[in-house]
Amino acid sequence: MSNEINFTQSEHIICATANLIEEDKAYWVAIGGPPLMAMLLARRQQAPKVFYVVEDGTVSPQPPTYVPFISGASGAAGYRAIAWKDMNTMGFHCALGYYDYGILDCLQVDMYGNINSSIIGDDYDRPKRRFGGPGGANEIASMCWRTILMAEIEKRKYPKRVDFISSPGYLDGSPGARERAGLPANTGPYRVVSDKCIFGFDEETKRMKLLALAPWATVEDVLAGIGFEPLIAATLGTVAPPTEQQLTILRSEIDPEGRVISQGQWISYRPET
Amino acid sequence: MEVLASGKGVYRTPDPDGHREWVRTHKSRQMKSKLMSEKEAIERLVSDGDYLGYDLNISRRGPTALIREIVRQKKKDLWVAVRFSSLDPALLIAGGCVSRIDIGWFLHGGTTSRAIEQGRVKTTEWSNSAVVYRQLAGAMGLPFLPMRYLGGSDVFEQSGAKLVRDPFTGREIVLVPALNLDVALVHAYQCDEYGNARIFGAGLSPVETSTCARKLIISTEEIISNDEIRRAPNLTTIPYYLVDAVVHLPFGTYPGAMPGLYGGDREHTQELMLADRMDNMDAYLEKWIYSVESHADMLEKRVGAKKLVQLMKMETIKEGYHA
Repeated sequence: MSNEINFTQSEHIICATANLIEEDKAYWVAIGGPPLMAMLLARRQQAPKVFYVVEDGTVSPQPPTYVPFISGASGAAGYRAIAWKDMNTMGFHCALGYYDYGILDCLQVDMYGNINSSIIGDDYDRPKRRFGGPGGANEIASMCWRTILMAEIEKRKYPKRVDFISSPGYLDGSPGARERAGLPANTGPYRVVSDKCIFGFDEETKRMKLLALAPWATVEDVLAGIGFEPLIAATLGTVAPPTEQQLTILRSEIDPEGRVISQGQWISYRPET
Repeated sequence: MEVLASGKGVYRTPDPDGHREWVRTHKSRQMKSKLMSEKEAIERLVSDGDYLGYDLNISRRGPTALIREIVRQKKKDLWVAVRFSSLDPALLIAGGCVSRIDIGWFLHGGTTSRAIEQGRVKTTEWSNSAVVYRQLAGAMGLPFLPMRYLGGSDVFEQSGAKLVRDPFTGREIVLVPALNLDVALVHAYQCDEYGNARIFGAGLSPVETSTCARKLIISTEEIISNDEIRRAPNLTTIPYYLVDAVVHLPFGTYPGAMPGLYGGDREHTQELMLADRMDNMDAYLEKWIYSVESHADMLEKRVGAKKLVQLMKMETIKEGYHA
């Protein structure tokens, strides 16, 4: 059949995240990589005027097409911004509650939505592997009202408990854990977008909860692919697959060199007619 | 104030009065020319053991030429505030200049990761904003500031932050100690000979970085007159009295991009990334730093005018980056 479409895990995660983006909300998007690509895609689709900031202080730019090479390095990334501010100003506005959603790409996320981007191992001073650090994700995950996370289904990416909490989810899941740690009230992870499904978090237990499946995945696929048992919603929704139009925009305009979108396995999907 | 929890990370105890004393005795208020070469600026103003910080990174508007000069002069035992960085810490670490870093973020998987895994470089965990916010406290002459993030995570445990009960509201709040750098490096678009500097584009933290430091070196793409500064005072990012040295370094962020002026050198960056990954930084440092005398010498011998013109042509977006 000719209507089969093929795309990578990354492409699906970016498209599914873009579909969550709402026009009248404000977003703090991790600079570069999949979160920014999801935002730029949403800008080209359902949310042309949506507001976003990145942590260097660029306030809601209109980048011409794609941002070449290392994202954020050239004038293109900040083109036609509303304002060029600085990192602290972004932090102040987030602390005040202006930023509705944060979008973050995760190396590791656990059942309470805690994120690790620092170390593998149990000795902080002599880690088995040292990653880049919290970056801007700690402030985004702490202070945005809701945080959307992006991570492929893989056992090592979804451990029961991360080796190191670089950016807070619901911590140990106990009621008020974030507030007791000094974080703003009523904040926390909201969705986790993967190549097989979308998770949310249970209001009571704060545990990750399977909400919707991609058409090519089953509950068993998800359970077999992660390191803990998530809660499962009584009625599971369906995650929309990428559209031809989304893939064309991603491949020809947002990431024509395939730096991000070429990552991960290929998925073949044939829509039922 | 009740302290509920304390991070166990290493930090330098804030000393606002010590900083004031330094300003009183060391910082000239005189309008005098501070123009000097990068060699002289680093020789005079960067000492072994200093706490070093800089704004932005080797990909964009970072003070890369000044960082290379630190490596060239083989400074030792620096404590570097690393946030929103790229491969700039890798240059300093490969050069043997660094014993400790504060971590906001760095490009992992190469030199910096290896140095930490092997215990050659010690770390304290923060976040990008947390380091910049600590510099804000330092820039305000305060010993600490409260903040709404960092709490609850393992970052808190490995930082120098404290969780306290806010004496005004009775609620929990995180405090972080002020950071006053010994020496800061900032690359500007334009600067006069006294140090009045202009920075365009999204800033990250030029003001906090400059203001919190005891010693400040500004490198600049262009030297402009003091008259020009006075014609548009709103554009002055950093006033001269914070500045100890002004170094005229066109393409001073190379191989990074200076938005509005020139793009980044992709070929060079790939060479650096490969050297970083493959543990081949010695050859990289030899070629780009040790075997040349200065930034100008490097541009002439290793980059060439043709490449520099290409980089300028690459940067097609100019809006907003000129006075």
